Amino acid sequence: MLTYILRRLLALVPTLFFASLIVFVTVRIIPGNVIDLMLSQNDIAVGKDRAQLEAALGLDRPMHIQYFRWVGGAVRGDLGRSLWQNTPVTAQLLDRLPVTFELGLLALTVALGVALPIGVYSAIRQDTTGDYLTRSFSILMLAIPSFWLGTLVMVFPSIWWGWSPEIKYVSLGQDPLKNLGQMIVPAVILGTSLSAVTMRLTRTMMLEVLRQDYIRTAWAKGLSERPVVTRHALRNALIPVVTLIGLQAPLLIGGAVIMEQIFVIPGMGLLLLDAVGQRDYPIITGVFLILGVCVMLINLLVDLSYGTLDPRVRYRA
Amino acid sequence: MPRIDSKQSRTRGFVLTLTALVGFLLGGGVGDEARAQPKPEGEMRWALYVTISPQWFDPGEVIGVITPFWVLYAMHDALVKAMPGNLMAPSLAESWTVSADQKVYEFKLREGVKFHNGDPFTAEDVKFSFLRTKGARILRDKVNEVIVVGPHRVRFHLHEPWPDFMTFYGTLASSASWVVPKKYVEQVGVEGFKKHPIGLGPYKFVSHNPGVELVMEAYEGYWRKMPSVKRLVYKMVPEPTTRLAMLKRGEVDLAYLLDAPQAEEVRRDPTLKLAFSGGIGVFFLDFFDQWDPKSPWHDRRVRQAASYAIDRRTLSEVETLGASKPAGNIVPRTFEFALPLEPDPYDPAKAKQLLAEAGYPNGFDAGDLHAYPPYNSTTEVVGNYLGAVGIKTRIRTMERAAFFSAWATKKLRGVCMCVVAPYGNAASRMSEWVPSSGIYAYGGYPDIDALYKRQGLETDRLKRQALLHQIQQLVHERVRFAPIWDYTWPSGVGPRVEEPALMLINPYPWSAPLEDVRLKRK
Repeated sequence: MLTYILRRLLALVPTLFFASLIVFVTVRIIPGNVIDLMLSQNDIAVGKDRAQLEAALGLDRPMHIQYFRWVGGAVRGDLGRSLWQNTPVTAQLLDRLPVTFELGLLALTVALGVALPIGVYSAIRQDTTGDYLTRSFSILMLAIPSFWLGTLVMVFPSIWWGWSPEIKYVSLGQDPLKNLGQMIVPAVILGTSLSAVTMRLTRTMMLEVLRQDYIRTAWAKGLSERPVVTRHALRNALIPVVTLIGLQAPLLIGGAVIMEQIFVIPGMGLLLLDAVGQRDYPIITGVFLILGVCVMLINLLVDLSYGTLDPRVRYRA
Repeated sequence: MPRIDSKQSRTRGFVLTLTALVGFLLGGGVGDEARAQPKPEGEMRWALYVTISPQWFDPGEVIGVITPFWVLYAMHDALVKAMPGNLMAPSLAESWTVSADQKVYEFKLREGVKFHNGDPFTAEDVKFSFLRTKGARILRDKVNEVIVVGPHRVRFHLHEPWPDFMTFYGTLASSASWVVPKKYVEQVGVEGFKKHPIGLGPYKFVSHNPGVELVMEAYEGYWRKMPSVKRLVYKMVPEPTTRLAMLKRGEVDLAYLLDAPQAEEVRRDPTLKLAFSGGIGVFFLDFFDQWDPKSPWHDRRVRQAASYAIDRRTLSEVETLGASKPAGNIVPRTFEFALPLEPDPYDPAKAKQLLAEAGYPNGFDAGDLHAYPPYNSTTEVVGNYLGAVGIKTRIRTMERAAFFSAWATKKLRGVCMCVVAPYGNAASRMSEWVPSSGIYAYGGYPDIDALYKRQGLETDRLKRQALLHQIQQLVHERVRFAPIWDYTWPSGVGPRVEEPALMLINPYPWSAPLEDVRLKRK
């Protein structure tokens, strides 16, 4: 198992290398250029200043030289400096990552907390009113974009009742209750949107597993519903669900970007949004690097969880 | 020892009494005045629409315009800056003189002024601040050297006479005259300064939570006046719906830059007020294809028709609640050397007539209509107006950075619903749009280019004005652009605010000077 983990961690390196290369090149070749943006905000003559700005920002060098310099810094933990703010990218990311991580974790908890019980209930009460209601709910959640829901939650209560979700950000360390008070609304919105697919898959897998012979045997032995569902059926039904969670991790991060914008949460999503708009290349590359690491680690955890759910799964070195 | 006789004694007594009385009146008066100025109290909170960059804490690092002045007006001060009633008001400089050859500007600095950390303000700080400023490179190109004549006198020597030196140095066109403490900056470095900036402004830095808020506290030793509000908090809230929600909830006292639907909601709420500010940016149509003889836009009548097709007043009602004034010139009337020109009336019949005269009685396919981000909805409405007279366009929206790159590299075709907003005077406003060498000029006229070059060298103010007026008149007659409006937008003001200080400095659209903002006293 340890060897398997180490091997997977080592595999991160080439994956991150290629991912960072793709991001590094892509942000520089998409339409829109940081120099043009900077010059549009100033009244200076173009020709001379373009060259000087490029030199000052290190953008006059060939792209491959810029990339290798960046890689050299990244290996030492230095992800460069923001082109607009001239502040270290690593420090900014270290400040913001825990915030996005917290939002993501809360959203995932809500998603699983909603999806698993409802999915199981829907499966064991197939074709009942409850089943139809829960399936309708999941379709509704699939249809409604989380950013629209977030905007509605922000605007209408303030108009109708003079209430809106807490906006002032307080870190978890400073005041856990206030922090959760702010994070819970965007986490619920994000989590509920994500729960739709998970709920439907849980229901489908449960239905399939509940038709298996060994479940019929368990019923025949006289076991009650609870141990049959929780001890025998659910564990086997969860394997594809866990896979789905791993696949949803990037979606979670993408959704977090919008939620951070609407609810003014100073996470990596908001940082990335600003950076993309301003073509702040070091920040964009740094954020994607960190997100890439997170997604790969999540997938590693997902793979490792298979062994817990299914004892037949063994990890070879 | 000689005896003092009674007459001398009475005289001396009278003089002493008189002296004491005068001293009491003067000292008591000053003391009364000091006691009369109430101490700052309360906290005022803003919801801003962009994230504050730490770069804005340092005037030398600022390379943008307008929004960095939110911070500069709070924490820093300048030799000369825009103030209510005077866009080039002496501030840290009590006065300045210009040599007869217009190559030397000498500033007499205000004495007894201290930075927030107690360091005295001197001419060395002025020189240091100027030489490190990154914005307005043209200033550093034009200035040969800066000489410290005395602790409170500094001289700028130019390479050659340049009539716009004060326009760039002493107005919102750049942050070059905003001063930082030399000793402190050298001690802590640029990064250290951005972590804890020190300035001469009415507010001191307290804390900055990146992406969340900036907190500042009143500097009671500010030379101009004691601020009324003790704490200012700038919160970063990019989403307009969130800004509205925070205003309604009382979490903020001012919500900058609301869209029309949010502004309507503020209007409906009796506890809130709408405030309008702007008048610096001008929306206009730029006809990129007018320089192509094969394009319909090459014909002046077609461009004129496009201008007549737009109902500027209704557009303003819909998009900015009627606040934006129809414009006839890309140079705002408030600018020095501006030529006041009346906007074209809304006359779709006349527009169709002009199109028919130009050979397009059934209209024509006008190509792309580019939207200047993020004003996509305004562009759509303009497109509809053009379509109503037969000028058929395809709206093209682009992401901001992509738009600016394409615009500056002259890749756009068709028409643009664009915005022009540089500060300064008529010359600086037109600099990148009218002369054919301008970044955003897709073509030009040799006679206008020659006039523009001449005005840049003209040191006689009246002659320069005449040249600039002539340029603006020619641009208008040739329908080089179709100005739409002087953009003015709504912001929300909460019930606790007595004076938001919005538009006190016209046309700076934000709260300033910040020592003048006031909360209602309980």
